Amino acid sequence: MSCLDPPINISEHVRHSTRYVGRSLRRREDRRPLTGRARYVADLQLAGMVEAVVVRSTEAHARIVSIDTSEARALDGVVAVFTAADLAEVASFPDYIDYIGPVRQRPLAEDRVRYVGAPYAVVVAADRYVAEDAAALVAVGTVFEPLPAVADIDQALAAGAPKLHDDWADNRSVDIGAERPEITEAFRRADHTFAETFTSQRQTGLPIETRGVVADPSDGVLTVWSSTQSPHMVRSTIALMLGVPEPQVRVVLPTVGGGFGTKTHIYSEDIVVPWAARLLDRPVRWIEDRMENLVASVHARDQRHDVEVAYDDDGTIRAVRCTSILDLGSGEIFMPGTAPVFVTNACITGGYDFPLMETRTVAVVTNKTPAGAYRGFGIPEGALVMERVIDRVARLTGTDRVGLRRRMLLRREQLPYVMHGGGRLDSGSHAESFERALEMAEASLARIREQHADDPDTRVGVGYSNYVEPTSPTYHLTTGHWAGYDASTIRVDPDGSVRVAAGLSAIGQGAETIAAQLAADALGVAADDVTVVLGDTERSPYGLGSWGSRGAMMLTGSVLMASNRLLDKARAIAAHMLEAADEDVVVSDGAFHVVGSEQPSVSWSEVATAAWIRTVDLPPGTEAGLETSGYYDPPYLEHELDASGKINAAASWSNGSHVGIVSVRLSTGEVKIEDYVVVHDCGTVINPQLVDGQIHGGVAQGIAGAMYEHFQYDTETAHPLFASFMDYLVPTSAEVPRLRLDHFESPSPDQPLGVKGCGEGGTIGPPAVVTGAVSDALAEWGVDLTTCPVTPVSVRAALRAAQSRAAAEREQP
Amino acid sequence: MIDTAREADVHVDINGRSHHHRVPVRLLLSDYIRDVVGLTGTHVGCEHGYCGACTVMVNGDAVRSCLMLAVQAHGADVRTVESLTADGTALSPMQQAFHESYALQCGFCTAGFLMTLESVDPDDWRDRTVELLSGNLCRCTGYQNIMAAVERAWGIERAGSRDAAGVGGEAHGDG
Amino acid sequence: MKPSAFDYARPRSVAEAVEALGSTEASRVLAGGQSLIPAMNFRLAEMSLLVDICDVDGLDTVSCDAAGVRVGAAATQTRVLDDADAAQAVPGLRATLRHVGHLQIRNRGTVCGSLAHADPAAELPALALASDALIGISGPRGRREVPAADFVTGPFTTVVEDGELVTDALFRRPPSGAVTVVDEVCRRAGDFALAGLVAVVEAQDGAVRTARLVGFGLRGVPTRMRNAEDVLAGWAGDHSIEAITDAVAADTTEVFDDTHAPGWYRRDAVTALVVRTVRSVLESHEAP
Repeated sequence: MSCLDPPINISEHVRHSTRYVGRSLRRREDRRPLTGRARYVADLQLAGMVEAVVVRSTEAHARIVSIDTSEARALDGVVAVFTAADLAEVASFPDYIDYIGPVRQRPLAEDRVRYVGAPYAVVVAADRYVAEDAAALVAVGTVFEPLPAVADIDQALAAGAPKLHDDWADNRSVDIGAERPEITEAFRRADHTFAETFTSQRQTGLPIETRGVVADPSDGVLTVWSSTQSPHMVRSTIALMLGVPEPQVRVVLPTVGGGFGTKTHIYSEDIVVPWAARLLDRPVRWIEDRMENLVASVHARDQRHDVEVAYDDDGTIRAVRCTSILDLGSGEIFMPGTAPVFVTNACITGGYDFPLMETRTVAVVTNKTPAGAYRGFGIPEGALVMERVIDRVARLTGTDRVGLRRRMLLRREQLPYVMHGGGRLDSGSHAESFERALEMAEASLARIREQHADDPDTRVGVGYSNYVEPTSPTYHLTTGHWAGYDASTIRVDPDGSVRVAAGLSAIGQGAETIAAQLAADALGVAADDVTVVLGDTERSPYGLGSWGSRGAMMLTGSVLMASNRLLDKARAIAAHMLEAADEDVVVSDGAFHVVGSEQPSVSWSEVATAAWIRTVDLPPGTEAGLETSGYYDPPYLEHELDASGKINAAASWSNGSHVGIVSVRLSTGEVKIEDYVVVHDCGTVINPQLVDGQIHGGVAQGIAGAMYEHFQYDTETAHPLFASFMDYLVPTSAEVPRLRLDHFESPSPDQPLGVKGCGEGGTIGPPAVVTGAVSDALAEWGVDLTTCPVTPVSVRAALRAAQSRAAAEREQP
Repeated sequence: MIDTAREADVHVDINGRSHHHRVPVRLLLSDYIRDVVGLTGTHVGCEHGYCGACTVMVNGDAVRSCLMLAVQAHGADVRTVESLTADGTALSPMQQAFHESYALQCGFCTAGFLMTLESVDPDDWRDRTVELLSGNLCRCTGYQNIMAAVERAWGIERAGSRDAAGVGGEAHGDG
Repeated sequence: MKPSAFDYARPRSVAEAVEALGSTEASRVLAGGQSLIPAMNFRLAEMSLLVDICDVDGLDTVSCDAAGVRVGAAATQTRVLDDADAAQAVPGLRATLRHVGHLQIRNRGTVCGSLAHADPAAELPALALASDALIGISGPRGRREVPAADFVTGPFTTVVEDGELVTDALFRRPPSGAVTVVDEVCRRAGDFALAGLVAVVEAQDGAVRTARLVGFGLRGVPTRMRNAEDVLAGWAGDHSIEAITDAVAADTTEVFDDTHAPGWYRRDAVTALVVRTVRSVLESHEAP
């Protein structure tokens, strides 16, 4: 559709007494997991199934000299041991993106490993216990010749650094940026400048269910159950790499125990397990364990930002230069993990009217687990930079932090607003959301300050974040291949039941429930009469899956497109049966009648029976059947950069404001979030309870990044310092405070029903809020945090540094 | 001489049914319940005792089934999430509260939370629900609606709280 | 993450357990298993024989007498936590156990197992030192009792030798009127401490009379902080804390660095814990 068409809406011919959109319909997904009867991938039991275990590199960077698998093969219960040599016929993962360094990833490492955790062999055995015994023997039988390792960004960029990929010029996968003369001019004119470096630490998405693949080659179809976010993309990639016709591969999504971006990628196991099942001609199961998950599923964040700021005495920020550098790990992941750092730079200005931004985008490879997608996808890192810059300028110029934000925030009359990188903010409540959040936090801030007023060991601080959240983004910049639509097929069966099959996948957000709400409203039926099918490539139309906060918009667009077409046909059939004119027929509560009179009427069942069975009842010349598809490709969504390097890479943009209040214990550095307020705006809300749930979970993950989780590597050897929950600190109920939420609804003027998306917004604010709040609490010592996570140690370190600075100043006035 | 062995006979009552198997002594209770008995409602999330997804009741106490050998459960009475609801019957009050409060998203951790809650006397923990649940990780909900569900099921009033919105409800969080 | 293979024995008596442990070199004792089984799942702990002592007669008892609370090696942490008599006799037990792990861990984990595991960041070995516990050990040469001060010899290392097992621990009653405080700095609820303190404090007339302080999470073994104890004797919370800071510094010259916290932080934190513990004791003492 063109950008000039009005957005898709529910047909004017639906006169439903019940409207589902906008209501907290309880989830239809709940009963099975509540009763222990859901089927996750590890729950599948197939006759004759054997268990695969992946043997992973224990070296950060090494040549594989030899692998002796004989002892493993000889072990009782071992079915097979495979190494790269066995997979010679399998194609490499494609390198679709032409502007980043190609990695030519093989399904198993051939002669070289580039991170601890890299898969280089697979053992198949009767059960996991025996398979692990055999995997240990393979490990013992492997001879590595260690190579010098690259453990971080500085090492990767150092002159003469060891190269991970021999044919690259250096370790940069991508390095894009251009000087803007107007920025240079702004720096020249500004009263002051400063430079600072900010960092966001390495994290991982960490669904409680790890990844897993079960492949069954029987019946001439290779059926693959994979805990993935994108089943069709997995199917296409398996077909491509194994050379199997696509219709002979069926990918089925079992119940998925969370994804958070990590399961958008297509991993070695997605290819090797189906390959092994075909070769062995029996079902093979591989379930990632947690130790593997922490080094073998993608990591994320891990960015450094070298920033220069030009500002005036009155607090006006004239211009910012930011070089964002992403530690990509080894880069050996499909799709590549380069996109988030582009998103960081594109979204860095958040909800602020701030065009004078100059960015450079760099991704470097290191000998660490490949980086990839994680909820927030680069945006939290940029939000941290922008909010800390604003606070710093406020502090340097004696300007009020809130007032400075008010001056900078976008106002409604500026919308649509095109950001420095081309992002087109179609709508939003950027200034209003901040005001509302401040209002919600005001009383509690006073109360908390009062509470701690007499405690000399405690300080209270407040932090802010105003961000934008791109929703339904293009996948072309991320994959170099897929783009941005999604699809639904809707069928009305002879009994009048509606079946919606969508290309979206379900990973816990309630997509089935909202699909039913949408279809019920669009077809004038009860939600209970709608059956929803997701995540099975045999039953659903081709779609790109669930990621990028796209589920709500993609379902809305595709369900309404298909429904409206179906409704037109159904109304024509009903009009024929009612002997009325098409344009006079409306549908309400499951029945068609002439507008203004409820009787006579024909039911959806009668119409569908005519369409499928009693075709003699159809109007002359009408095609049989009552099924159609909608392929929603959002207007305004761009897939390639324009000549000036700009792109609107998202179909719409949600926004949000977070205000957090912390107390800090000076003596121990302990930080407690005393109150946390979120005001969110994702346009039209389909199901308020589900939206709140997305925000809750997002904020909790944001707090995890702000204060707890940090995947650490040895800076000399590039070995992970741990691979367990003892050290990778996932917050519990005791660490996540009660959140207070409010919403604005600024509908997208361009997208169906005005729906935007809400999957990632919650994650964006907390790093900026917590660093800002702790810095505020410790302002009297000049503490100004630039990095996450904020820990008792980092707080004490900052205080000690500030105190020794002050002591030094006392000595040398 | 005391007997030592690589395999052992295990007799366990699970959800009121007795099970008898000869199993390797290294078999974890979680794997026994899932792969040998076939009750897959108990999930495995970390196998080192941190996530709580595999929580079951052994002789009435909540335990991590990944940190017990099946042979250690010999003679024990084990309960799993499947015991909370017979097929086709109504949800338990806590399950119903989870449903109404939207306390589960992906559902993978849910069984562990439910079994932890099932194992305790609400009166002992009414004032310490956060501590009670801190042994179970959830990555989806930020614990907000899980706490709300427990409050709903146990009749705990929270200052300023507003019931999570149900069908037709217009409430939109706490704002 | 599955254990490698081993043999398993479930003795009924201490003698049988000792015999089983001695029957092969690489034998290990299994009690609650809440530290051992994770290590087995990671294949960091491998053994040829696992000797499960949970069915050994008499090891699951918790008994109180004039000396204190004797906890058998198979008694779970929950069992001890819920024992009202034990809490009365040695209040530090309940105060300590509330910080140990989570409900599900305490339901299996044992008090003696935690002592034998000797994690430097664990609470129970510190309580043992603070309450002058006596740890009972049985082996091929019979039974011996080792004072807590001599029991832990290094990180994850104790005087328990191959072929021996801990059978019980006697936690002694604190002086009457003393208050036991257990406090720690953790990243998350239930985690091992970045720094922790068990303090047994007697106060009189608004001032500390005696303090017995044991820090944990500071170095390889629980740390008796005698310099700080000396400084605190007579302290009324009314003057500078610098003396305490200096004393704690003298007590913690060997603090260790790891991925969780550097040594200087552990020292800062335990200093803060000492100060806030003593202040809170004095405040509660003053309160009517």
